[in-house]
Amino acid sequence: MRPIPLVLALSSLLIVAGCGPSGSGAPGGKVKVEVQAFQGGYGIDFFQQAGEEYSKLNPNVQVTVAGDPRVWEALRPRLVAGDVPDLMFPGWGMDHWALVNDGALLELDSALDEKAYKSDEPWRSTFRPGLLELCQKDGKTYMLPLYVMIYGWWYDPGVFAKNGWTPPQTWDELLAFGEKCKAKGVAPIAFQGQYPYYMIEGMLLPWACSVGGIEAVNAAQNLEPGAWSSPAMLRAAQMIAELRDKGFFLKGSVAMSHTEAQTQFLNGKAAMVPCGSWLESEMKSTMPPGAQVAFMPVPDVAGGKGDPTALLIGIEPWMVPTAAKHPKQAIEFFRYLTSLDEAKKFVREKGTLMAIVGSDDTDMPPSLEAPARALAGSKTVWSVQYRTWYPAMQEEIEGAITSLLNGQLTPEQFVERCEAAATKTRNDSTVTKYKVAS
Amino acid sequence: MRRKGQGPFVLGFLAPAGLLYLVFVLWPLVQSLHLSTFQWSGLSPVKKFVGADNFQRLAADPVFWTSVRNTLILIVVCGVALIAGGVGLGHVVNEETRWARAIRSIYLYPQAVSLVVVAIIWYFLLSPQIGLVNNLLRAVGLGSWERAWLGEPQTALGGVAAAFVWYALGFYSLLFASGLKSLPAEVNEAAELDGSVRLHRFWHVTWPMLWPIKRVAVVYTVVNVVNTFALVIVMTRGGDPDRATETMLTYLYEQGFEVSRFGYATSIAVANFLVVMAISLAVLFWFRRDPTAARA
Amino acid sequence: MRTFGRILGALAGFLLFVGTAGPIAWVVVSSIKPGYMIPASPWSLPTQPAWGNFAKAWGTTGIGSGFVNSLVASLATLAILLPIGAMAAYVLSKYRFRGHGLVFGGFMGGMMFPHLLVIVPLFMLLRDLKGVDTLWGLILVYVAYSLPFTVFVLGGFFDSVPDELIEASMMDGCTHASTFWRVMLPLVKPGLAVVGIFAGIGLWNEYALAKVLLTSQAGFTLPVGLANLTMTQQYEADWGALFAALVIVMAPVILVYALFRDRVQQAMTAGALKG
Repeated sequence: MRPIPLVLALSSLLIVAGCGPSGSGAPGGKVKVEVQAFQGGYGIDFFQQAGEEYSKLNPNVQVTVAGDPRVWEALRPRLVAGDVPDLMFPGWGMDHWALVNDGALLELDSALDEKAYKSDEPWRSTFRPGLLELCQKDGKTYMLPLYVMIYGWWYDPGVFAKNGWTPPQTWDELLAFGEKCKAKGVAPIAFQGQYPYYMIEGMLLPWACSVGGIEAVNAAQNLEPGAWSSPAMLRAAQMIAELRDKGFFLKGSVAMSHTEAQTQFLNGKAAMVPCGSWLESEMKSTMPPGAQVAFMPVPDVAGGKGDPTALLIGIEPWMVPTAAKHPKQAIEFFRYLTSLDEAKKFVREKGTLMAIVGSDDTDMPPSLEAPARALAGSKTVWSVQYRTWYPAMQEEIEGAITSLLNGQLTPEQFVERCEAAATKTRNDSTVTKYKVAS
Repeated sequence: MRRKGQGPFVLGFLAPAGLLYLVFVLWPLVQSLHLSTFQWSGLSPVKKFVGADNFQRLAADPVFWTSVRNTLILIVVCGVALIAGGVGLGHVVNEETRWARAIRSIYLYPQAVSLVVVAIIWYFLLSPQIGLVNNLLRAVGLGSWERAWLGEPQTALGGVAAAFVWYALGFYSLLFASGLKSLPAEVNEAAELDGSVRLHRFWHVTWPMLWPIKRVAVVYTVVNVVNTFALVIVMTRGGDPDRATETMLTYLYEQGFEVSRFGYATSIAVANFLVVMAISLAVLFWFRRDPTAARA
Repeated sequence: MRTFGRILGALAGFLLFVGTAGPIAWVVVSSIKPGYMIPASPWSLPTQPAWGNFAKAWGTTGIGSGFVNSLVASLATLAILLPIGAMAAYVLSKYRFRGHGLVFGGFMGGMMFPHLLVIVPLFMLLRDLKGVDTLWGLILVYVAYSLPFTVFVLGGFFDSVPDELIEASMMDGCTHASTFWRVMLPLVKPGLAVVGIFAGIGLWNEYALAKVLLTSQAGFTLPVGLANLTMTQQYEADWGALFAALVIVMAPVILVYALFRDRVQQAMTAGALKG
């Protein structure tokens, strides 16, 4: 594999020297690789540029990257019709496990066992530990991560310094801190009510993990009987209800979109907001002058079984359809995209942590440093997987937590509804089941 | 009526429309209906025949029945509001006052702008912290009435209905205004009479005479409540909070496009079709005869 | 009593006027505010107009080409839809033949079906016809999906034309077809205007079908471009550009209404009487 780039470099020299065919009128031998990418907060310009660079390095390949903010909608009929791109990053709206179940995605393990881009290491080992497991079914890998998102809470260090506040680290500190906020006329917490998973992933499950240990959360994700109504889950729901009853949530949060709730937070109406590490890039164009954001771990419960360094992460996977016309070239392009140099460049340009080992070793925005440290120092890195495994069940649990936050459900009723949804999913023979990798 | 030598003419005149309709509407429709007998993710060519299983699940699905209930509530509430509002406003715009003229110049605008725009406007009006409604309530000292209109189960569906009525009211007013204008002159002379007689006259003479307009208005409402889809998707993210604004079409969208049960979603579409058709037929039957004709 | 009524009427008129025009004016005002001001203080007036929003909206969404695409798609659809829709409506209104109920019911059924549902089979059909991501493919689909409304409304207009006119025309030696073109079609001009205006506005704003059937940025119609901007702002939260784009989409429709108000209202009046 190693000599190829040299040959390619030579042939590109020939083209420049005028001995080869001219660039625009390339002969039919050129392999056209189509990439469709989700145009989210990080845009697609980075991928487009990478595609151009890669095409320059490999004159027999032409990588074109296109995308839009709802790319999964345009991909759906193409997938059904078998007219697919070679590489896709379909975004959060794509039910990618349904694709795995239908056999629509290429298994990537043999490619992972090969060397990483311009490296002697196997590609597989250049990913941070635990990430490839999130892309596997029965031990086989069907998707690949590119960036990593860290979940936690956020505060404005300027506001905290001005008021002499420090971020609460435990539940008891949170209760005391909340009263201090309210005394200043600031709501302790805003949340993104229209997207209830922010509360599931920013409070419910982290607290269930803190009280009952990671085992409690794994059991719930694995749909074990009673796991969604376990004492740990009930305690977590009671904590949310207590915050609700104490009036710690910004009024009206239940109707807010993520950008609205985060805008209220940035405008000083609330002291903290649960969110992922994309917060700063998502809000940069509406950030009021002087506002800052800083990461804090979710306050944990003293005396709980959980690891206090436990950290919730997430990925948005890339994949190669089985029906792709040029799967090999698509994989090679993604190998290039996950090289250490490209990964570091992504960190610098887009301000997110990457799935690649060693990619933190570059300039990153100050707000990313705390999440990066938390990730490096965590002994229990976990991810919410049931949400994409069982999307219908997730709809039900999201509805239930909205009703809990609205005061329509008691914590006991809430966990019962979750347990019922889990039972229904477990007993539905048409739903493919998964297990958290241990 | 049958006419001599009409065969080739009828066929020739129906052919262009009929063929296009057959190819682009009916054929995909039949294929879709066929899909309701499959378990299919809608994401790949892999399908499994399950017969009537989707419909059995549908009958036992509480969320589906919630969505039916909400759809019917929207049809009834919006229908009543639009017809009552349309008749009232129809009277207003037929006047020759300054305000009537001003209203005539703008009242069709909401209908003309995209529903996506309407949804965004109402989303901001009802937004909890920054919304105009809550800010007005605060300004007039009714701060305790303030609420997260679209986030609470008691008010969210009402918020969607209000946006739809705002969107469609101009059209219904125009419908009734022109209906009122077309009535015989002696009916409109009621304006010369005083209040109680006018009301009596309206209720016993004008209102029954408006039946053809009412018929059109009701059928339009039933058919167009389908349009609330765009409103619900934008205003309450398609059913929030906890299914309080879930309609049949948003549930169809969720099942088909978000949780990958496309076969199941097509069975919801079949149910939606049957409900809309049943109501439309009932309305046409109810308004089948001109109530004033018997009088004449 | 009469004075009281008049005051009440004026008050109602005022509220209705503000209630209708206010929100639209708000969109226009918001479009020249800096993006972060919109969620922070949505009801304030801009201190200095941020015209840059419009440049951004025009640049980022390709609204220029979207404008042309939408215009071509809407007008071409009407050009095909009106004649063939009128032909079908006429035959269904004035002639009785075997299968009449079936054909009529078939057209009416199309109004009661969510288009969302047929999107996957429709995409596969167009792919086989090589019509995906082409304007002509979209136009044919638009014509087909506008037929039910057209047949419904024009059928009502033809119903109200007395049958005697047909008999008289045939007696004068006209054929079935020339009776339609020379006598009947001119009589339902107001109906054509109603359909033209309503279907035209509907097509101008159509989103779901265009979203799936057009796949490349260059082919996008305005609503698809607008929706993309709405979606993108969820990740970048640029409200200013979004509102500017809303104004760009609304402006032509409002302009058409303002210019042709009397025509529109006349047509609508006729439509309501006969529809």
